[in-house]
Amino acid sequence: MKKILIAEDSPAMRSLVISTIEVMDGYEIVEAANGFEALRLLPRENVDLVITDINMPDINGLELIRYIRNNENYGSIPLFIISTESSEKDLAKGLALGANEYLIKPFDPSQLQSLLKKYLG
Amino acid sequence: MSGAGDTIGKAVKDFLAEAEEIVDQLNNDLVNLGDCADTGDCNPDLLNSIFRGAHSLKGLAGIFGFGEIGELAHNMENLLDSLRLGKINLNPSIMNVLFDAMDLLGNLVRGAGDGHLDTSGIPAMVARINTCANTSRNNADDSPLASLGLSESVLNALTEYEEHRLIENVKKGKSIFSIIASFSLTTFDQELGDLTDVLKKEGEVISTLPSVGSGNSGGIDFEILFGSARSCDEIAAIIDRPGVTISQLGGASSVSMPVATAPVHFEEPQSEPVPVQQSAEAGMTAKSMSRMVRVDILKLDELMNIVGELVLSHSTINELVGKVRGSGYSTLAIELGKAAKGLQRKLNELQKGVMEIRMIPVGQLYEKMSRIVRKIAREQGKKIDLRLFGADTELDKLIIEDISDPMMHIIRNSIDHGIEPPTERVRLGKDEKGAIRLSSFQKGNHVVIEVEDDGRGIDIDRVKNKAIEKGLIQKGDILSEREALELIFLPGFSTSEKVTDVSGRGVGMDVVRNNIAAVSGMVDIETRPGLGSKVIITLPITLAIIKALIISVAGRTYAMPITSVLETILVESREILTVERREVIQLRDMTLPLVRLADIFELNDIAASPELFYVVVVGVAEKRLGIVVDDLIGQQDIVIKSIGETFKGFRGISGAADLGDQRTILVLDVGGIIAESTRGSI
Repeated sequence: MKKILIAEDSPAMRSLVISTIEVMDGYEIVEAANGFEALRLLPRENVDLVITDINMPDINGLELIRYIRNNENYGSIPLFIISTESSEKDLAKGLALGANEYLIKPFDPSQLQSLLKKYLG
Repeated sequence: MSGAGDTIGKAVKDFLAEAEEIVDQLNNDLVNLGDCADTGDCNPDLLNSIFRGAHSLKGLAGIFGFGEIGELAHNMENLLDSLRLGKINLNPSIMNVLFDAMDLLGNLVRGAGDGHLDTSGIPAMVARINTCANTSRNNADDSPLASLGLSESVLNALTEYEEHRLIENVKKGKSIFSIIASFSLTTFDQELGDLTDVLKKEGEVISTLPSVGSGNSGGIDFEILFGSARSCDEIAAIIDRPGVTISQLGGASSVSMPVATAPVHFEEPQSEPVPVQQSAEAGMTAKSMSRMVRVDILKLDELMNIVGELVLSHSTINELVGKVRGSGYSTLAIELGKAAKGLQRKLNELQKGVMEIRMIPVGQLYEKMSRIVRKIAREQGKKIDLRLFGADTELDKLIIEDISDPMMHIIRNSIDHGIEPPTERVRLGKDEKGAIRLSSFQKGNHVVIEVEDDGRGIDIDRVKNKAIEKGLIQKGDILSEREALELIFLPGFSTSEKVTDVSGRGVGMDVVRNNIAAVSGMVDIETRPGLGSKVIITLPITLAIIKALIISVAGRTYAMPITSVLETILVESREILTVERREVIQLRDMTLPLVRLADIFELNDIAASPELFYVVVVGVAEKRLGIVVDDLIGQQDIVIKSIGETFKGFRGISGAADLGDQRTILVLDVGGIIAESTRGSI
């Protein structure tokens, strides 16, 4: 069972990502409603992949990515960004910080599914 | 309806629930933004939060196939983005566009919810938004960011917005500080929250960058970029926490250590072996967010219905206990009786539990109302001081929903007709600001909500003249003040000389009263000329399961909510007097008007006027009435069910209930009967 952490402050967007993943076998989901929760969950849950939004209150997605990439415990786990096309610059920064993939809202569920298969098998 | 698919799936419901929440929040924030737009000094967090709201809505709408809503939100988002990044400045005309766009957005979301999505207003609104976004564009700024000397690694993790906030702070002459603090992994959210709360009072927390703790125990460090007019030492004194490094970025950077001996990073002594209790407490704040569950009210209704049916099954079991006892199985009857008692206790708990889930604080209604007050006051050029009391009084969610519109109308009336324009108020020696007071409190099984203003009050003579003009009363009719005030609630009554945008929307106080009566509530008005009026709404706490008095009239059985029954008395027919063609009895020191249910429902009273009969004394708010019935059958818990649209207009009936023995009876709308009787139409 591979564990995926979803950091996204919009409950509906979160539930949409979850419903996209739920139909696939072999994935377990951990939800964080903001960057803080994600930071709390990371050391507790043995996470295999992180999907994060960029625009979140307090700790945003970029800050989360930077933290994960600089932490030897999770440094190399795959990181996906889900964001909107309007935050182009932020998206570029996220990729520069070490995010592996990005999806633009509204994203295509099958794209997320195939990316998950690619990174987690 | 656009793209919502054939069935409204769970996802769309989720969308609607969240979209409504976002729209509510946006409305609130916009009103606050409007307030500070006047002063020119806007809270950047507020603007950013509005931007984020529009942004989320756009994303949601796009995903759930409401492309047009997404389009509007997208254009709003662009405008808000330019505002928050300082590319354009906020001014009253932009504020108006934002308000209008928000109204449209709210209507669209509601439309999407009830399947009446009207997207025709979107193109014009988008054009307005874009005109705003394209004019008054500020010159691009030469970035003073470089002078701060931020490390590449930090710069790379800043969003465009955060960069903009740094620049804005520097432009305003604020200093930028880097505050680095170490925390244990178990308690960081609480402690960091405390730290930022303290900082926010002294300046702006621009960015919070987490990094791997440099201490031995694998903690977590945070670098906070903070803009403030204070000095390094002052901030150190305010933070007052060991192990924090503060440095001023750029220019004459002075670095100071809050703890004389502290190295750059300092593990707090207590942070390693964290007491279990403390960590649990610290975990509360972050956890509580995900502890809330959003539930469709229909599911709670279903649950309540099941509980209701269980209550009925329980009564059946109780009857069986009696039968078993009657058939001679006394030991068995005792055992069964005990089991039934136990069941009842648990049922009561269950009932109470489900009821509590449905309860929400009146404060949620207040929030909506305060937005409306500010909006109307703005439109009318009146100044209103809204005071809220008893926000934590709880009411059934459905009741709160159903009285939102009537409340809104009452408040519109208060501002429109009650509160005088500022100049007139000053001339009258009143405070320039009109006061509206919303207060809620529980009174027995009812919740009372009062809307009180200190305006001009209701002119009784004008009300009477209007009523004569409208043919509602005859010239020369003698009415008491109370009776005259009752005229306001008659259909088609409006004292406003000109139809205004605010009150003149074709909704009169009769509709307000009907809407409130639909949830078994009563509405009353008190007024003092020149001093103001008070509208008093009395509501039952919940509609779901109620104790009822079961009565019979002319061979038919009815239920009356026990909450409105004050007492029952046995009366002899010779005690009835006739005053002004109405039957009354003398009850202690008051004269109690009577109504006969048999007359209201036009039943053929077989046992016409028996010598002895019962009078059920009912009262809601300050009104009293005696209802004449043939017999009292007993008390029982009932679940009131709607009798459907067809019978909605029937006076005196609020619903139907199942008695548990396959019999369905009607439930009397006591509030309605009292109102009709006061009006003299019974």
